[in-house]
Amino acid sequence: MADRDPSSDDTLFAKASSAVRKLLYDEHGVLTRDLLRSPGGFGLGQVPARLKPDRTTTMVCGFCSTGCGLDVHLNQNQAINLSPATEYSVNLGMACPKGWEALAPLRAPDRATQPLLRNELGLLKPVEWEVALHAFVDNFKRIQTKHGKESVAFLGTGQIPFEELALLGSLAKFGMGMKHGDGNTRQCMATAVVAYKQSFGFDAPPYTYADFESSDVLVFVGANPCIAHPIMWERVCRNPHKPAIVVLDPRRTETAQAATHHLPLLPKSDLCLLYAVAHILIREGWIDRTFIDAHTTGFDAFAEHVSAFTPERAAGVSGLSTTAIEGLARIIHEGKRVSFWWTMGINQSHEGVRAAQAIINLALMTGNIGRPGTGANSITGQCNAMGSRLYSNTTSLLGGHSFNVPEHRQKIANVLEIDESLIPTEASWAYDQIMEGIVRGKIRGLWVVATNTSHSWINQSDARDVLDSLEFLVVQDMYCTTETAIQADLVLPAAGWGEKEGCFINSERRLGLTKQVARAPGEALSDFRIFKLIAEAWGCGDMFRRWSSPEETFRILQECSRNTPCDITGIDGYAMLDEYRGIQWPLPQGATVERCSERRLFEDGRFYHPDERAKFIFDEPTPVAETPDSKFPLWLLTGRGSSSQWHTQTRTAKSEVLRKLYPQDPYVEVSPLDAANLGIEADQWVVVRSKRGRAKARAFITHVVRPGQVFMAMHYEVTNLLTFPDFDPHSRQPSYKACAVRIERLDRAPQP
Amino acid sequence: MQTVAAGNDATFIDGSTRGKATDKLRLPLLSQYLREQQDLTAVERFSQHHEDAEAPLQQKFYRELIPLTTPGPGQQYGFEVDLDRCSGCKACVTACHSLNGLDEGETWRSVGLLHGGTTSKPMQKTVTTACHHCVDPACMKGCPVGAYTKDSITGIVRHLDDQCIGCQYCIWTCPYEVPQFSPKRGIVRKCDMCSDRLAASEAPACVQACPNEAIAIRIVNVADVVEQAQVDTFLPAAPSPELTLPTTNYKTKNAMARNMLPADFYQVRSTHQHMPLVVMLVLTQLSVGAFILALILPSLLAPSTWALLAPFHALVALVFGTLPLAAATSHLGRPQYAFRAFLGFRTSWFSREVIALGAFSAAATVYAGALFLGSRSDLWPGVARVAVAVSPPIGWMVALLGAVGVGCSAMLYHATRRRWWNISKSGFKFYMTAAVLGVATSITTTFAALFNRSNELTPDVIQYGETMAIVLVTVTLVKLAGEATIFFHLSDRREHDLKRSARLLSGELARTTVFRFSLGLVGGVILPLVSLTSLEPSSSIGAVMASTVCLAALVAGELLERMNFFAAMSSPRMPGTLR
Repeated sequence: MADRDPSSDDTLFAKASSAVRKLLYDEHGVLTRDLLRSPGGFGLGQVPARLKPDRTTTMVCGFCSTGCGLDVHLNQNQAINLSPATEYSVNLGMACPKGWEALAPLRAPDRATQPLLRNELGLLKPVEWEVALHAFVDNFKRIQTKHGKESVAFLGTGQIPFEELALLGSLAKFGMGMKHGDGNTRQCMATAVVAYKQSFGFDAPPYTYADFESSDVLVFVGANPCIAHPIMWERVCRNPHKPAIVVLDPRRTETAQAATHHLPLLPKSDLCLLYAVAHILIREGWIDRTFIDAHTTGFDAFAEHVSAFTPERAAGVSGLSTTAIEGLARIIHEGKRVSFWWTMGINQSHEGVRAAQAIINLALMTGNIGRPGTGANSITGQCNAMGSRLYSNTTSLLGGHSFNVPEHRQKIANVLEIDESLIPTEASWAYDQIMEGIVRGKIRGLWVVATNTSHSWINQSDARDVLDSLEFLVVQDMYCTTETAIQADLVLPAAGWGEKEGCFINSERRLGLTKQVARAPGEALSDFRIFKLIAEAWGCGDMFRRWSSPEETFRILQECSRNTPCDITGIDGYAMLDEYRGIQWPLPQGATVERCSERRLFEDGRFYHPDERAKFIFDEPTPVAETPDSKFPLWLLTGRGSSSQWHTQTRTAKSEVLRKLYPQDPYVEVSPLDAANLGIEADQWVVVRSKRGRAKARAFITHVVRPGQVFMAMHYEVTNLLTFPDFDPHSRQPSYKACAVRIERLDRAPQP
Repeated sequence: MQTVAAGNDATFIDGSTRGKATDKLRLPLLSQYLREQQDLTAVERFSQHHEDAEAPLQQKFYRELIPLTTPGPGQQYGFEVDLDRCSGCKACVTACHSLNGLDEGETWRSVGLLHGGTTSKPMQKTVTTACHHCVDPACMKGCPVGAYTKDSITGIVRHLDDQCIGCQYCIWTCPYEVPQFSPKRGIVRKCDMCSDRLAASEAPACVQACPNEAIAIRIVNVADVVEQAQVDTFLPAAPSPELTLPTTNYKTKNAMARNMLPADFYQVRSTHQHMPLVVMLVLTQLSVGAFILALILPSLLAPSTWALLAPFHALVALVFGTLPLAAATSHLGRPQYAFRAFLGFRTSWFSREVIALGAFSAAATVYAGALFLGSRSDLWPGVARVAVAVSPPIGWMVALLGAVGVGCSAMLYHATRRRWWNISKSGFKFYMTAAVLGVATSITTTFAALFNRSNELTPDVIQYGETMAIVLVTVTLVKLAGEATIFFHLSDRREHDLKRSARLLSGELARTTVFRFSLGLVGGVILPLVSLTSLEPSSSIGAVMASTVCLAALVAGELLERMNFFAAMSSPRMPGTLR
């Protein structure tokens, strides 16, 4: 172009011919510019030119407990895009689809933008905040006056920052006089909490993600990190030691496929199997006697207990060969750094606590704890399940304390500057007990925050009836369309992740920060602000005067944690959390820590029981309450469907991209053998039926499930119509993973 | 803090009221909170990390995953996917979406699932896939406007968004479902291997984002790609690599079970019906048929009858032939650029169809004009004489161009390499539509033109009607029988494209199928046999009505046939997930 003669350019002919050329062949127009990329700065590399940030900030993801750091791209402080943070020890520049799409659910059209109150016609109608708050206070106070203070309860979540959870739990219990409150963490983590508390003396997952990379043997029990925690699987893939990876799971999951060994045990045979492995380890002398003697109690009784669990017995129960069971014990023995990992396959079980402790026992007896690449490690579910465990003020008093210990109550009363008598002397009822309490008329008002009971609670149709029987149901949520919100008498519109500040604690005990980088729609407010307004409206605003912001609340909670195993008094506010890229607990005052450090617990072999020893805890296996029979001959397994789906889908269904990544219809995995016997063809609509309900689903015929078992993903509304309400007696966690069903072609199924 | 009840009935925002339970509270904090909730300045107090980092931080993870040099002669860039590392997390899909600023719901990469094995040794394998930047890209060959380029050095197949007219033909020619239509923009867009990132030694978004380093960019030898296509080692259950020579290398150390099938293998869903194309195809074929018949009719009718019929017949054929061509541009995402459609004539059957049918309609216009002028010797005797002299050769040219145009239409679909659109099927259907509708139109125009003249049918016309009715019944039966052969595939043991089409036609699309065959039988067989084979001199009006009903039923039947031609198309595709 430079050598063109400028004078000839001006001729009409030249102009016309260039215009015609462009009409016929246009290479660089406005549509092309749409997709231009340009250097984004801030170490991002190229970004879409029209989404170039003027600033970036790092915050943790709000979906699962991995706690990935996300670099949010800002324009005038508003989030316009995001990418995973490279300099973040958790995720090393990676994220799963949910993380990548974390901003999309904020823009959903069904966001709750105004409070909604059910009017005399029974319709939810928008009202002003003042009206909503008055309705809240008026109805709950009326119920409390009539039926006692404990007749109103709350159900919280693992999805909001722990400063908010602490405010909710404190407001409800200390300010409003409620006695019972629990969270949806009961559905995912309660088992691990109880198991750790009993075994270690404190709810303390001991590991750090670096352990994924340093093990030479990894044993996954009831865990499918490829799909449920893809970034943890990333860390496994970065393990340079060519580790043996053993997966215990009834299904041939993605993780089982990627593993070096897959043991497809029968549903709920895990406890017996794990005891048999302990049996073999003891029989062969493959144990670390020095560690056992120095740091544990109860081993001898345990050894005697497992002597009855021969490999033959476990083979009979689990459907595995004795060779496979012996082989598992040998792999554990031959490993120098063996780590054990479990997720919902263990936690959501009728005897999950004992099964988790059976895993802990294996780690203890082989000395695989407190060293790099070892540990009995529970992979948590929700982004702030760990925060909820310590600060929701439900099962445990703020900071991992106990309601029934007077010194604990006194300490917390002092920190909060409240009257000690305001603190209940016992823990709340668990989720199922609250639901049961509603049935028995003990609970008449319920406040549900950021969870979706009407979808997720086990034996769902029953759960919906239970909520319907309440005198007043308040749902506080980002969306006014959740299955629970549409049952509510009052809906309070909440800001979501990214629209507010606060901290999450991830699976490896890392505190991470979330920030306000998007404007909440309409009059939606952060849960923190809603709680504060409710405190004022209730008349107990003075009690929370010091809780003026999430960060001030953080400082109060630090004080609560002082001298506990989860002591975080050494963190100098949000700025330090941000600067250090998340900090793992504990960090007591005066302790130092490296930036981006990764720390594990029990390196000194000192546990949190008064004798500083870990306990071997065990029990006889108990039968499953519902097993397949002639009428309902198949096991129904449930679990995560894909990495692009999250729980009840209130958020992930709001991203068009994520929607493309999972099946739109509910589906049921059926083995080819069962399908042939039942005359079911691929992709056909079938009816899955349990004693409690029926669910329509498409048949996916695959060897991934074994004959006699079918699998459904938990994200679809119909799945929990089928599940059986059985609970672990110690943790009260529901046993979602196994019940009995039958399956028939839709065109041959009798109508209900 | 004291709360103050306002005391009176509260007002709902929609104006209704509720009882005393909804009194107002006065809360000074509320307005402050609502304000703070909209204020985003709090984030400024945090330090900004990597403010001065110009180089991408992520580089340390992907340095090994992109080539250090540009490809040499006989080489190009290609994706390499390590199947043993892909765990199905699908981060690549979302990363591509975010880092390329795609529209809501627009994705350039997808992840499928292969599964198989046995009860004791089950197997599943997730497969990430995007554009394969083929050595012989079918998108580029099919594009009528030259909106695709293949970079001479990198081999990256790029789409020129501003050149695209939104015909979406590339979506059909690509065996891998790569080009994605953006209704908002009226164009397709696709993966360009993040070419400007590669140019700056940065990795494409998917490569950067894969937690397990399963995707890489490698330099491939074109000769190797060609050689491997000979033995079909691309990927189980994927379209054959010999179609376009895809350069993606799927590698695995594990032997795959022989029965690995895509998760969506048995999922058959009908596709879009493309109404503008349906109408365009059927009516242009009618028109071509009618113009070809115009060459035969003079030998079947008395000269005076033909002279009367010719201008009317040609006008009807012309109207059916040209209007739908204009209407078909509404199928384009950017119809205002339809004039570019001839540019790809060297490789694209789409361009060739446009040129042939364009020439056909131009010639047809001239022909119809000549016949009209030839019939009006009362107006301009000299002109009429010339017109009469030139119209037969023009008529032959129109018929020829029309036949070529229908052939181009058929080739357009054949070139997509879909078996349901194979030339034996599309060619048969298109030419037979021309025959059926050409005959039916000729019968109708004849009776209509004669009815205008007198109320009596002459013996030559009665004879003509009976002959044409037999012809119509014959061609209709041949066409319907030919169409019905697809259902033989229902008994095939193996699930394949044609069986899927047959399943759709007899399942989801069964209603259309039933209507289609009923209309064909009524309009092309029963009615002609009943009403046109025993004509009386007095049945002039009856003949007009019967032949018009026949034609209408047949046109409707052919339209339904063509809707199913699109809707029952089962496209080849990469292994998908459950949908």
